[in-house]
Amino acid sequence: MRGEEGNLPEDGGWRMEDGMSKQREAGRLGKSLTIFGLRLLVTPKLVFLLKYKSSYGFSSRTRPRSQRTDLQREEYTHKYKQIRSRFSDKVVLAASVLSKSGKVLVSRQFVDMTRIRIEGLLAAFPKLVGTGKQHTYVETENVRYVYQPIEALYLLLVTNKQSNILEDLETLRLLSKLVPEYCYSLDEEGICKTAFELIFAFDEVICLGHKENVTVAQVKQYCEMESHEEKLHKLVLQSKINETKDVMKRKASEIDKSKIDKNKGDKGGFMSMGSGRIESSFSDISISSSGSGFGSSSGLGLTTDVDSFSTKSKGRQLSSATAPPKGLGMQLGKSQKTNQFLESLKAEGELIVEDVQPRAGQARVAAAAPTDPITLTAEEKLNVTLKRDGGISNFDVQGTLSLQILNQEDALIQVQIETGGNPGILFKTHPNMNKELFSNENILGLKDPNRPFPTGSAGDAAGVGLLKWRMQSADESMVPLTINCWPSVSGNETYVSIEYEASAMFDLRNVVIYVPLPALREAPNVRQIDGEWRYDSRNSVLEWSILLIDNSNRSGSMEFVVPPADSSVFFPISVRFSATSTYSDLKVVNIIPLRGGGAAPPKFSQRTNLITENYQVV
Amino acid sequence: MEKSCTLLIHFDKGTPAIANEIKEALEGNDVPAKIDAMKKAVMLLLNGETLPQLFITIVRYVLPSEDHTVQKLLLLYLEITEKTDLKGRILPEMILICQNLRNNLQHPNEYIRGVTLRFLCRLNETEIIELLFPSVLQNLEHRHPFIRRNAILAVMSIYKLPQGEQLLVDAPETIEKVLSTEQDPSAKRNAFLMLFNCAHDRAINYLLTHVDRVSEWGELLQMVVLELIRKVCRTNHGEKGKYIKIIISLLNAPSTAVIYECAGTLVSLSSAPTAIRAAANTYCQLLLSQSDNNVKLIVLDRLNELKSSHRDIMVDLIMDVLRALSSPNLDIQRKTLDIVLELVTPRNINEVVLLLKKEVMKTQSGELEKNGEYRQMLIQAIHSCAIKFPEVASTVVHLMMDFLGDSNVASAIDVIVFVREIIETNPKLRVSIITRLLDTFYQIRAARVCSCALWIIGEYCLSPSEVESGIATIKQCLGELPFYSVSEEAEATDASKKTPQSNSITISSRRPAILADGTYATQSAASETAFSPPTIVQGSLTSGNLRSLLLTGDFFLTAVVACTLTKLVLRLEEVQPSKVEVNRATTQALLIFVSMLQLGQSPVLPHPIDNDSCDRIVLCIRLLCNTGDEIRKIWLQSCRQSFVKMLSEKQLQETEELKAKAQVSHAQPDDLIDFYHLKSRKGMSQLELEDEVQDDLKRATGEFVKDADDANKLNRILQLTGFSDPVYAEAYVTIHHYDIVLDITVINRTRETLQNLCLELATMGDLKLVERPQNYTLAPESSKQIKANIKVSSTETGVIFGNIVYETSNVLERTVVVLNDIHIDIMDYISPAVCTDTAFRTMWAEFEWENKVAVNTVIKNEKEFLDHIIKSTNMKCLTAPSALDGECGFLAANLYAKSVFGEDALVNVSIEKQADGKLSGYIRIRSKTQGIALSLGDKITLKQKGGS
Repeated sequence: MRGEEGNLPEDGGWRMEDGMSKQREAGRLGKSLTIFGLRLLVTPKLVFLLKYKSSYGFSSRTRPRSQRTDLQREEYTHKYKQIRSRFSDKVVLAASVLSKSGKVLVSRQFVDMTRIRIEGLLAAFPKLVGTGKQHTYVETENVRYVYQPIEALYLLLVTNKQSNILEDLETLRLLSKLVPEYCYSLDEEGICKTAFELIFAFDEVICLGHKENVTVAQVKQYCEMESHEEKLHKLVLQSKINETKDVMKRKASEIDKSKIDKNKGDKGGFMSMGSGRIESSFSDISISSSGSGFGSSSGLGLTTDVDSFSTKSKGRQLSSATAPPKGLGMQLGKSQKTNQFLESLKAEGELIVEDVQPRAGQARVAAAAPTDPITLTAEEKLNVTLKRDGGISNFDVQGTLSLQILNQEDALIQVQIETGGNPGILFKTHPNMNKELFSNENILGLKDPNRPFPTGSAGDAAGVGLLKWRMQSADESMVPLTINCWPSVSGNETYVSIEYEASAMFDLRNVVIYVPLPALREAPNVRQIDGEWRYDSRNSVLEWSILLIDNSNRSGSMEFVVPPADSSVFFPISVRFSATSTYSDLKVVNIIPLRGGGAAPPKFSQRTNLITENYQVV
Repeated sequence: MEKSCTLLIHFDKGTPAIANEIKEALEGNDVPAKIDAMKKAVMLLLNGETLPQLFITIVRYVLPSEDHTVQKLLLLYLEITEKTDLKGRILPEMILICQNLRNNLQHPNEYIRGVTLRFLCRLNETEIIELLFPSVLQNLEHRHPFIRRNAILAVMSIYKLPQGEQLLVDAPETIEKVLSTEQDPSAKRNAFLMLFNCAHDRAINYLLTHVDRVSEWGELLQMVVLELIRKVCRTNHGEKGKYIKIIISLLNAPSTAVIYECAGTLVSLSSAPTAIRAAANTYCQLLLSQSDNNVKLIVLDRLNELKSSHRDIMVDLIMDVLRALSSPNLDIQRKTLDIVLELVTPRNINEVVLLLKKEVMKTQSGELEKNGEYRQMLIQAIHSCAIKFPEVASTVVHLMMDFLGDSNVASAIDVIVFVREIIETNPKLRVSIITRLLDTFYQIRAARVCSCALWIIGEYCLSPSEVESGIATIKQCLGELPFYSVSEEAEATDASKKTPQSNSITISSRRPAILADGTYATQSAASETAFSPPTIVQGSLTSGNLRSLLLTGDFFLTAVVACTLTKLVLRLEEVQPSKVEVNRATTQALLIFVSMLQLGQSPVLPHPIDNDSCDRIVLCIRLLCNTGDEIRKIWLQSCRQSFVKMLSEKQLQETEELKAKAQVSHAQPDDLIDFYHLKSRKGMSQLELEDEVQDDLKRATGEFVKDADDANKLNRILQLTGFSDPVYAEAYVTIHHYDIVLDITVINRTRETLQNLCLELATMGDLKLVERPQNYTLAPESSKQIKANIKVSSTETGVIFGNIVYETSNVLERTVVVLNDIHIDIMDYISPAVCTDTAFRTMWAEFEWENKVAVNTVIKNEKEFLDHIIKSTNMKCLTAPSALDGECGFLAANLYAKSVFGEDALVNVSIEKQADGKLSGYIRIRSKTQGIALSLGDKITLKQKGGS
């Protein structure tokens, strides 16, 4: 199976499905290791079960699915249903918080019951609870409610009548102490805001309907989920990454040197370029060393160690599924293995480098979480309001350039940019920026050259804003997409034809045009369309989506028919799209490191994005 | 099968979250926004949106998140999201989550592991779980108890799935090993629970090997042990002996919850007197030691159950139970008294009554606000004791009569009613009661008590001396005559001008009250306060309350006084040989009557005498002037006879009820038959006969649905479309407690395939559709069963509308077939119920909604009309049948019913036969909610016409 690993798709879930269908075609037991497109960790026991228990109709995998009849399914579910409710006979059915007026704010059920049943029980409660009573339980034919009023709320346990009242009261007391811990204000709003936190807390107190022996402090601790082990684990991981990185750097500079030696006297111009390339690929490795790189190449069966640490990117997840059948290989923090791992890493340093050339597929997935040490994002947001009979009532572009640096070491830099020279655009730098440097040389650097840029982990979305710009215009030719909507009533129906026209400036992606419709029972009758449509009946909006508008389809149209309606119903039409080029045409040319003259400039990645914030035809 | 629902969260529909927004937030890197979006996604999902496109987004962007809260929310999302397709097959994309779950199961954070394991407990899809269980098993040995705890439960849940036994063949063995080394009490409990559920024998084995240490185990574990014992004994009666010892040892456990459970288990295991006694004793101890009212009440319930099954044992414990009276809670006191009253025997009656008397005395000294009600309860208890055991009546009746002057009118009325009954049923006590009553008469403050006391005096003063002292007492209480002197008239008119305000108050506070027979009577609210106009001649101090009551204008009481005096004078004629005495008494009485009439017509009183009372007094005057045997017989004998008749009827009714009750518990056609020679049923425990506990849970989760008989089913079929429609539909409506299930059969009558056939329903009234409709495809001339659930939250007539919408292949348009409306009948929700007269009257006064329906019917007979109304409204007539006897041209009756939601419906029918033979009058409906009053009114208007 190791041989197959190379073919394994590295990116998200989509290709898994391919694998799945492939598997269906194969449909053989022997291949069960890649069942459902996933590499499974198959223990000997599972293999045993697969082989020997198949006669019991054990799994769909041993027989084609279609052979399992619905009747059998019903039988299973019936059996299951009977058993599940018999874990124990004296249990808490549900813990709920209701408002005094009887509105169910939160309810957590601990046994299987249908929605209609629990809603019925909770709806009956306010009618049953009387006023002026000195006890706080109500019994009906089938259930018992034990409750406690808390300000404007009822905290309520629904139990069966055989349930132990003394235990239930204790549970209720505990819950009543917990609720104020999580809710700032004990009213409807407060509860609704913290509904999920309450559910988590309830889960800690009652497990499968049984009371747990916990205190308020313990529940809080459980819910906070502060784990010493996790911290330790992260530290170990970090130190490992750093260590590896050091090794990498050393190796890289060695290679660098040898290459310089080789190329000496040949072509001086190539030198820096070549070294730059290698350097950048090294730094890439150092980041992704926790990632996918090793899975495909390590022959030592250590993959599992690495994989279990990784939770960051989708691509890595998949590779961890390729874990060899080591059974217990998932245990963490085994120092021996870690050392072994590092040693092997050192030994095979170069080999790894060869394998981990960044791939296109990976880059696509990784777009969400940057893996480059430095990321620069130029983003422009469009705020456009077009009049329905033509003309612009508002056209506004707001752009930002933000910088995101992963590691502290790379933070002492300056950024050189290049703008498209659009005269309508005014740039504004962050107050901490050196303004002169920017106006003279188009270089963005901090006023104090010794101060590093703030760094942030991959989790932070925004990064640091360096530059802002703005453009306003009344020129209709600047508008990337114009929309023309012609509703006309004819007899018993309204014909609406819409066309779009895109300017040649941009290639627009994921264009969605939202046309509001009068409230309809059914979807409108779309006569003709370029692209695809969808009817959102809940908001009664027709969504016209075009995946990509480029030179092949700069204009397009659509026509649909609805029952007679006023033409103003179809406005405002709102539009969403994105594009990869911007008005400002801002580009980052270079990154200039300020420290250590010898070191090559760090690798950076650049993203350019034009998105719509508010794009409407009114 | 319906999906089970694991959580509910209130969702404000005002701010609908757009799926796209959620998607965007999920794709972003902002953790708080992500958390927020996940919450929204979960709420939307709960609200019935399916959001199919969101799943992939979540898989791509949420699964990798490192944030703990996001991971927990993800688990919630997975918990509620649809994991199977329509046919119950697992959706292929669910496999994508497995990897994440597996990573979580190996996460360095112990809490992430724990919550993931807990999530597995709720997962039913074997296909997903079987990929995960190696990781689950690893967690069994984790260092952290939090993980072990949940891992054990996960193993249990997996093992319990269909085919689970095959997936985890050696799970019981593993868990047993875990159990033997486990230290954490919670984990230990879970392990034992797992064995208990999955491998009985191992659990028993473990229990028996550690039998000596059971009492040292944790509270949680002990509870499971008790449950195990109960279950084992059910399947294996022979081994009962082994376990009783364990239970007995646990009876001394430090945890009260365990003790309570022990007692319950003991009762269900054995019916041996020792065991029952031990259990009852335990309950009594809990009753005294626990201060929580809830516990006390529930323990009293348990005692009540014991009482019905083991009365002889409970009789011995009666005094222990009575000690619960020391609690100041009225509900507890009431429940205690109820239990005790059924346990009194000739042997313990004296003790009980002594204690009750002591309690009554205590209420006099204490200043607690609820004392009045408590005293009333005690008086009623003593009353029923005295009826059951007449010999104790003598010891209590005098004590009780001290309360005639009680400021709490209700308890005073109870006392006087009690005295009235005792004096009739206990002739020996008559003389002493009468003397006592005459002595205390002046203390009586309330008009209603007073009139009852006067009736007793009038009926039961038999000897000449009694009659004379009776007349004297009344005269004394009335004070000097006249009540009103002409000389002061001028002044009085001035005064009456001065006090118009008070007059208006009195008038405004007058409101109709219903008498016990259901008729309306005018009652003056001011009559019970000692209110008197200043200008009226006040009697001397000795005259007591009677005079002041009369002077407030209580003319009903005036008439009662007149009748009593007439009766006494008539009796005096019989027993007093001296004609002179009789004549003197007669004239004095006549003088009193005349003064009363004069008072009634004087302007000083807020309102003049009403015609009824006036007629009655005039009748008394005429009677005394012109006596006859016929009249005398009516006045002196018939009155009493009708009272005796009422008493005997009441008794008869009680014994009949008792008989009916007894019959229920005896004669079941499928009961076991006891053979004298074989082991009798009495030796068997409750458990062997039936397992109540197990059914209890099923009932609570709503799994128990009684099979209605099929014949009734057919009556409920409604045709929804016509026979010539392309789609024929008919519905079978089942009405459950809180929901209505529509079973709709849809038949395609065309030769085309109907696509996207959808049953759209809308509701009016307090009904709510539970699920969104689904689309179906219907082959030519085939049929389909569609189920729809509708939630009901109060009793109200509701209507369900609907359409069937479909497409055919050749026409693009959707076709709509409108369905007949389905009307939900209020009658399905109300059922006849019984309440006491007093309860009925308080509710009648309290309830806000009244619907008055004028009688309009072709029925000529009052009784027949009443029966018709009862039948068509499904209510219970509270008015006794004897009170409805006879032909007098009018009829008044009270009807009562309760809805399944616990709402009360009150109806009063008052009809009179007109001269032309038609019936006229009103039917008044009162209820707390508008819905009932309206719907019931509509129903009556619709049905009252009768004839068919």
